[in-house]
Amino acid sequence: MHWTEYAAPLLQGAWVTTQLTVYSTVLGAVLAFAAGIGKLSGNWVLKGVSVAYIEVFRGTSLLVQLFWLYFALPLAGAAIGLDLRLPPVLAGVLALGLNIGAYGAEVVRGAIQAVHTDQHEAARALNFSPRQTLWDIVIPQAVPEMMPSFGNLAVQNLKDTALVSLISLGDLTFRAEQIRNFTQDSTTIYTMVLFTYFGMALVLTVIMRALERYLARWRAAKG
Amino acid sequence: MTNLAKTTLMAVSAIALAAVAGTAASAATLAEIKEAGTIRIAVANEIPYGYVDPSGEALGAGPDVAKALMEKLGVENIEWVTTSFSSLIPGLKADRFDMVAAEMAIRPDRCTQVLFSEPNSSYGEGLLVAEGNPKDIHAYTDFAENTELKVAIMAGADQLDMMQALGVPEANLVTIAANADAISTVSTGRADAYAATGLTASGLAKQNDSVEVAANFTDPEIEGEVVRSWGGFTFANGNEELRDAVNGALAEFKQTPAWSETLAGYGFTQADIDGSGKRTTEALCAQ
Amino acid sequence: MLFGYEWDLSSPLAFAVSILPILLIGMWVTIQAAVLGFLVALVLGLLFAVLKSAPSRWVSWPAAVVTEFIRDTPLLVQLFFLYYVLPEYGVVLPAFMTGALALGIQYSAYTSEVYRAGLEAVSRDQHEAARALNLSAVRTFTHIVVPQAVPRIVPAMGNYLVSIMKDVPVLSVVTVLEMLNVAKIVGDRTFSYLIPLSLVGGLYLIMTLVASAGVRLLDAWLPKQGIPLK
Repeated sequence: MHWTEYAAPLLQGAWVTTQLTVYSTVLGAVLAFAAGIGKLSGNWVLKGVSVAYIEVFRGTSLLVQLFWLYFALPLAGAAIGLDLRLPPVLAGVLALGLNIGAYGAEVVRGAIQAVHTDQHEAARALNFSPRQTLWDIVIPQAVPEMMPSFGNLAVQNLKDTALVSLISLGDLTFRAEQIRNFTQDSTTIYTMVLFTYFGMALVLTVIMRALERYLARWRAAKG
Repeated sequence: MTNLAKTTLMAVSAIALAAVAGTAASAATLAEIKEAGTIRIAVANEIPYGYVDPSGEALGAGPDVAKALMEKLGVENIEWVTTSFSSLIPGLKADRFDMVAAEMAIRPDRCTQVLFSEPNSSYGEGLLVAEGNPKDIHAYTDFAENTELKVAIMAGADQLDMMQALGVPEANLVTIAANADAISTVSTGRADAYAATGLTASGLAKQNDSVEVAANFTDPEIEGEVVRSWGGFTFANGNEELRDAVNGALAEFKQTPAWSETLAGYGFTQADIDGSGKRTTEALCAQ
Repeated sequence: MLFGYEWDLSSPLAFAVSILPILLIGMWVTIQAAVLGFLVALVLGLLFAVLKSAPSRWVSWPAAVVTEFIRDTPLLVQLFFLYYVLPEYGVVLPAFMTGALALGIQYSAYTSEVYRAGLEAVSRDQHEAARALNLSAVRTFTHIVVPQAVPRIVPAMGNYLVSIMKDVPVLSVVTVLEMLNVAKIVGDRTFSYLIPLSLVGGLYLIMTLVASAGVRLLDAWLPKQGIPLK
C-alpha cells in the first residue's frame, strides 16, 4: 500500500474529528456559561450543582470520564432500570463537552467577576433587574475577555477528540490505527496524522481569532 | 442575547434528548432487523478470524460466513463495526451491535454474559516470537519455568486464564490492546513472545519478516487436556430468536463445500474444520 | 485475580473492597509516571524557553514552531509515534519510559511558556537598575531575576503537575498498567465496569484535590515580592 492511499481514509477520519470538535465545543460553551453563571448565583441549589459539576469534571481524567460514560453508564442505568446505553458518538461528544465545559466555566466565572462592581451598582441605580444587568451589561463586557482562553480550550478540545478512537469512533486517530494494523507502516502514518492535527489546530485558531474580533466589534456596537 | 442563549440551550437539550431516546430500545429482533434492512456486526481486527481491510471490506472466517448466513436470512445490508476485542461483550450488552463475528471462543464464563451460536470453527494455540526465536521458546510452560521471559497477551483474551493456570507470574505478562500491536511488541523485545491462537500467530508472521511462528510448538495442556477452542457468533442475552435463526442457517451452510472452502481459505487446517462439529455450544458452556 | 488479589463478586461493596488494593497498585504507577513526566517537562521546557528567547532568529523561530507543533497535536498520537516509530530507528524504550517521555514532551510546550512569563515579569527597569549598579549579568540573573520569578513559576508548574496526572490514563494504550488500565482489566474479566471505573473516578478526585491543595499551600507560603536574599 502506497502512502497516497492512506489519504482517503485519513481524510474521512479528519471529517469525523471536525464534527466531534464542533459539536463538543458548542456543548462545552453552553455548559461553561450555565455552570460559570450558576457558580456565582445566589440560589444555593444552582450554585451547588455548578460547583459539583466543575469540581468533578476538572478533578478527574477525561479518559476516565469517557470510559465511564461508555462502559459503566449502561450498567449504572440497568441497575436503576433506565436505558442509558449511549451510542459512541453521543458518549464521545458528551464526555468531551462536559470536560471542556467545566474548564470553560472557570473562564466564564473569572471574566464575569472581572467586570467592575461599580457597574453592578450603576445598573441597580438605573433600575435594571439582576437578569438585565447580567445579560445586557456584564456579559457583553465579559465575553470578549473570555475569548483568548476559549480559543485555547477549543484547540485543547480538538486534541482531546483523539481519545474517542479508544471507544471505536472512526476519527482521525482511529483510522490511523486501523491502517497501521494493516500495514505496520508507523512512521508515515503517524507523521501524516500529526501534521493533519497541526493543520486543523491552526485553522481552528484562525477561526477563534476571527470570532474574537467579531465579538469585540459586537461589544463596541452594543456599548 | 437572552433569546439566542435560550434557543441554543433548548436546541442542544432537544438534540441530546432525541439521541438518548433513540437508543432506548433493547436488542433488535430479527423481524426488526429485516424491516430496517441492516444488521450491525462487530469484528475485532483479528486476522484471520474477522477484520476490516483499509477499504472498509470485512474479511475473515467470521465475516465471510456471516455474509452467507445473512443472505440466507434475507438481511440485505451489513454495517460492520470495528472495536477492540475486550469491548465485544460490553458492546453487545450495551446494544452497540446486534452480533459479533469474531470467532470468539465459547467459554462458560462468557456464556453467562452473552449467547453463542453453535461453533463455526475450532482452533488451537500458537506462539509468535522474534525472527530466529532468540530465546528458544516452544511452549506456554516455558514462561512458568523461566521467569526471565515476558509474554504478551491481548486484553480480554483467553490466554490470560491459560497463563494463570500454568502458573506464569503476572509481572511477566504484557497486556496489549490489539493483535496487530504484537508485531511491534515482540520484534522490539518489549515481550519475548506473543501467546495467541495458532492462526493469529501465523497471520501476524506473514505480515512482517521480523517475527515468526515458534517452531516445534507444544500444545498447552490444562487439567490434563490439550487446549482447543471453539469459536462461534455471539449475541446479546435475550436475543435467542436471532441466535436460533443464525443457528438454522449455519447448520445448512456447514453442509456445503462453500463453508469448508471459506475456512480453508483463511488457513484453517482440515483438523480445525473437522473439529468444529465435535462439540456443541451447550457442552462448551457447561464445562 | 490480578497482582495476587482475588475479587469477591458476592456484593457490590465486597467487590469494591476486594479490588481496592489492585487499583492502589495502579495508582502508584500513575503517580510515578506523572512525577517522571513532570521532571522531563521541567527540564525540556526550560531548554525550549531558553531557545525561544535566543537573540538569533535562526534559533528562536524553529524553537517556537516546534513548541507550537507539540502544543497543537494530541498526546495520544505523540505517544503512538514514540512507541511505534522510535523502535524502527533502533530506540526501544520500555512502555513506562516512553509514556513518561511523551507526557514530558507534551507538557514542555506549556512549561516553556511558564518560564518565559515568569522571567519576563521582571521589568526592564530592574535590569537597567542592575546595570547601573554594575551588577554582572550572572549576578543580575541569580540575585534579581530568579528570586522574583520563582514565586510566579512554582504555582503554575504545580497546576501542570496536576494536569499531567490526569493525562496518565492515556498511557494505558501502550500497556502501562496505570490505574485506569488496571480497572479496565478487572472489568474485562468480571464484565462489571461500573464499580472499578467509578472507584477510579473517586480516587482521581482525591488525588487531584490533595495535589491542588498542596499547590495552594505552596503558593501561600512563597513570598509574593520574591524570595528574600541573605
